[in-house]
Amino acid sequence: MNWSAPLPGVVLVGTVLVAGAYVASVLDAGAARLVAGRPLRVGELVAGPWREAALLARIRRSTTERPDAQTWALAPALLAAMAGVAVATVPLAPGVAVADVDDGIVLFGAAMAVVMVGAFLHGWSSNSVFPLVGGYRFVALALSYEMPLALVLIAAALPAQSLSVGAIVESQQGLWNVVRQPLGLPLFLVAGMGLAFWGPLGMSDGADLAGGTGVEASGPDRLAWALARHFVLVAVAVMGAAVFLGGWQGPGLPGALWMAIKTLVLLAVVVGVGHRVARIRLERFVVVAWAVLIPLALVDVFASGALAL
Amino acid sequence: MGLLSAAAGRAEVPVFPVVGVGGRQAAEALWLMPGIRVVDSPRAAVLLVVVGRLTRALLHPTMLVHDQLPGPRATLWWPGAGGATPDDGAQGTEDLLAALPDVVTTVPGDTAGLLAVFADLLSGRRPSGRPALVDVEYPRWRGVGPHGHGGEGMMGGVPFGRPLAEMADDPDGLMLDQLPLRVGPFFPAWPPGLILDVGLQGDVLRGVAVGDNPYRSWPGDEPVGPLDTALFLATRTMATTVAALEVARARHHLRWLSRTLRGHGLAARAQRVGALAQSLSVDDRPVVEALARRLGRDAGLAAATSGVGIVDRAALERVGIDRYGGPVARAAGLGIDARTHDPAYADLGFAPVIHHEGDARARLRQRAAEAAQALSLAERAGEIVRPPGRPVEGPRGVLAPREPLPSSALLALLPDLLDGLEWGDAVTTVASLDLDLEEAALDQSVATWPARTSGGPTGASTTGAAPTSTGPAPTGPAPTSRVTP
Amino acid sequence: MAPFGAAVVVVLAGGIAVLAARWLPPAVGPEATAPERIPFLGGGVPEVHAWSRFHIRYYAMALLFLAFDMEMVFMYPWAVVFAAEGAVALVEMLMFITILLLGILYAWREGALSWAS
Repeated sequence: MNWSAPLPGVVLVGTVLVAGAYVASVLDAGAARLVAGRPLRVGELVAGPWREAALLARIRRSTTERPDAQTWALAPALLAAMAGVAVATVPLAPGVAVADVDDGIVLFGAAMAVVMVGAFLHGWSSNSVFPLVGGYRFVALALSYEMPLALVLIAAALPAQSLSVGAIVESQQGLWNVVRQPLGLPLFLVAGMGLAFWGPLGMSDGADLAGGTGVEASGPDRLAWALARHFVLVAVAVMGAAVFLGGWQGPGLPGALWMAIKTLVLLAVVVGVGHRVARIRLERFVVVAWAVLIPLALVDVFASGALAL
Repeated sequence: MGLLSAAAGRAEVPVFPVVGVGGRQAAEALWLMPGIRVVDSPRAAVLLVVVGRLTRALLHPTMLVHDQLPGPRATLWWPGAGGATPDDGAQGTEDLLAALPDVVTTVPGDTAGLLAVFADLLSGRRPSGRPALVDVEYPRWRGVGPHGHGGEGMMGGVPFGRPLAEMADDPDGLMLDQLPLRVGPFFPAWPPGLILDVGLQGDVLRGVAVGDNPYRSWPGDEPVGPLDTALFLATRTMATTVAALEVARARHHLRWLSRTLRGHGLAARAQRVGALAQSLSVDDRPVVEALARRLGRDAGLAAATSGVGIVDRAALERVGIDRYGGPVARAAGLGIDARTHDPAYADLGFAPVIHHEGDARARLRQRAAEAAQALSLAERAGEIVRPPGRPVEGPRGVLAPREPLPSSALLALLPDLLDGLEWGDAVTTVASLDLDLEEAALDQSVATWPARTSGGPTGASTTGAAPTSTGPAPTGPAPTSRVTP
Repeated sequence: MAPFGAAVVVVLAGGIAVLAARWLPPAVGPEATAPERIPFLGGGVPEVHAWSRFHIRYYAMALLFLAFDMEMVFMYPWAVVFAAEGAVALVEMLMFITILLLGILYAWREGALSWAS
């Protein structure tokens, strides 16, 4: 993609994010019906996200007594922007990457760190207790999952001898990283669920806080936040598909289609886990993250390093 | 706009329930209705559904929650669950109809009516509900200084009308702010009607006090309506079959399981269990046993609940629960169960289920196991009839005449139990105690238990109306009479 | 530099798109009244502002995170030159990591990772 002609890149990233968010919503609703034992009406599932979005667009945006209006508006925009950057670093088809920089995973890590800022701001800005508590809890969670996230990506970079996501995809020519580094994908998905505060790691928007950071948001605010959250989830799935599942590589079908299929698989896994596993206790997870996940990630790094030699 | 409204009109209806007297079951049935989504915050809702009868203490919170719904909004009222009708003339009823004149009154469970109101609202045929409270800002909005931020005195004064939080001591040694909160009767993660005055230091609770029970009825009010343990209370004067009692017990525990699962973020699994509870019969014993086994082994739930909210024997004795048992006591190792000495159960080989840890996980496994045990007892009991008059083992503890109801004592556990807990753990603990504020309201002096003097009245002595059916009702009508000394 | 430029454009575009999604839908209905703007507390009215000197109990864990973040800064370039340097690089990083892992162990034993009890 060309700096002087940025439109195709923006359109590509936007399409991936919106399509991914839509598919994630459909999968979420479908998984909920399956787990609840309800009839799976495909028509309703497919139309569901559009109807929800239309309803949210019709509801009036509400505010609180003395919020911080700028950060309240900024928070979902920040999340969506960072998700866009994350998707931009990934090659979606052979030769098609909006911003395949030489240190793609560093850029991804930096974007995901700013997601933490966005989620905290969303909780802090409305000057209400439950969102505030949700925001602070999310920061504790974020500090814990950042390490495993970065470490497993580094482990994937070792065989490629490069930090660029395109090089990592090409290094999986013979064997996908999910086989070569078995610890990598599970750790990445756990950290990714924390990143998108989804399912068991949904500390910031949990039911025990009456909706957490999203308590005071209504109408288009709620729509923007839900979109942003789904965008982050899609970014995690796209990155996971590229770094661990071989990206656009695969026999027969065109690269873009393989990428879509692998992203879909990861989305389905994350959505399924979200409906089956209970929300964690924050302290317990922090101990697990520092005492178990980080050592496992380090084992992953050194094992893959030894293999790469 | 027309296309948008048309699409929006077919979306799932977001609903925020407000539970009045006698409305808990109907409100929980909302979770299971297709096409309706119960939301956690009024800002996400389009319809406010008031279920049951409102008392005076609940009126202002209801009006406030109504105003917190953004437009377009409408209010539905399902009064029948509380045994009250619009023409009752009960005080809360009149006030509600006066405060929210656009209320649509229908019967509980009327999904079609709800969907029709929603469709009318979105298509513009129905105007959005007018505000219930006067448009006056509560505090004085201008502080001192050019931007109104400034205050007076050492602590920063009153910026924008509300004061900033004061500092308080912390076991950590750091003096940081403590937010005084009164988390109200309609907090979704708590049993409806529970009001807790807490101090929040960071996300840790300090200084918990239980607020006045808003369901309490004063002289001249209608009495508290039919409880969810109505069948058990009715055994005082009515003969019931053991099978009916045990199925009711299993249903109660499964409803509690559904609520708890939802609180842990497992809304879809909660719906499955709730649907099972709604259509429960003796034939579902294998399903319930499998469910109990699965929940006992679930690693996620175990991690979220083990070691949380430990209630030990000393705490139980302090509030008197050791006298009349219940799942909370049995999960802490006290094997008190009125069914052990009940001649109707003598031939059924009943032995109480006991766990020893006393934490939220033990209570979860206790109730799941008791639900399975209840169904197996019901299967074996056949046609055994239980004569009236003896103390009966209710789903929360022994129900005996002239004894306080279990929820009152369980409420008394809360201040010591929740002090120092992190917010998520506190919510898990409150949920694991299975409180019912209506049951506690039948004992007048909830706030002063156990320092209550023995001369006080023990409850309203009139009977409520028979419950109108909200789904599969327990067999037999259930007058809620309590014998006064 | 060109790819970074594209990334910057994506950031701006994403941010603007979401802001548009937030501001474009026309507000229907009357203005919000004062009681509507009261933060949700389950039916009650809050007495104080929520903004406060919130006690972040995990500050010790945040310091630990800072140390590991600096370790990440070293691991990024290490990953690129690792294969060229050979086993020596592996052993050196192993020693570096071990020292930091001892830091985690110390913090865990000192209670930095559990703060609410």
